[in-house]
Amino acid sequence: MNLLEKLSSDLNSVPRCIDSVINKVRQLPFNEEQLHDIKLSLEEALVNAIKHGNKLDLRLSVSVSAESSDNALAITVTDQGKGYDFKNVPDPTNAANLSKLSGRGVFLIHNRMDKVEFLSGGCSIKMIKYFKNGVDK
Amino acid sequence: MKITEQKDADRLICLIEGEINITHSPELRKFFDGLIKKNETKVLVDFSAVSYIDSSGLATLIEMYQRLKKIGGLMRCSGMNQKIKNTFEITKLHKLFDIFDTRESALKDF
Repeated sequence: MNLLEKLSSDLNSVPRCIDSVINKVRQLPFNEEQLHDIKLSLEEALVNAIKHGNKLDLRLSVSVSAESSDNALAITVTDQGKGYDFKNVPDPTNAANLSKLSGRGVFLIHNRMDKVEFLSGGCSIKMIKYFKNGVDK
Repeated sequence: MKITEQKDADRLICLIEGEINITHSPELRKFFDGLIKKNETKVLVDFSAVSYIDSSGLATLIEMYQRLKKIGGLMRCSGMNQKIKNTFEITKLHKLFDIFDTRESALKDF
């Protein structure tokens, strides 16, 4: 599977992109729980790219690539923003942060995917899910 | 997403159906605004027909929980499927919210 999508920095374009990617991902040997994890991670990555990366600037776009190998799916979401300090993201599960309204997206991605890498100073996130839970993690 | 409200004595039950995601969260926030305006102070959110929730949905619920707390109100949650429950558990939000397996047990707790 190989897919490349480009979307505008409009949050309303997120569901269409998710549907398009997930429809293709359904052809891969993932179970329903894994598909849920991929969908959630993709949505969180897209929303972060549009809101925090491109700051909702409609002149900027977000690209999504999805590629499968023998044992895994890799999805990369890239924005055109200035990047961010991905090494210093507050832990949303700390008692002091529990009531905060934001800051859970990246945490959920880390939790739901098997491998997560930030590239280009945080403008790009690569998320890997193995067909069998946790293989090669 | 569809929201149905049902009054049970002084408690307001919100049955949410479908996905609580980035496009539906504003609608849910607007619905909660209406409950605050109507002075509903005992709110049960029934998740039994919710198939998906993202971080924007979690934020909307936290916001409502805080608004109710501020006016002395109470919020209870019930009927979460395993995927939704797991999202609350990994984010530790099960420590913030009162979560019950069934609507009946949640209603008894008000």
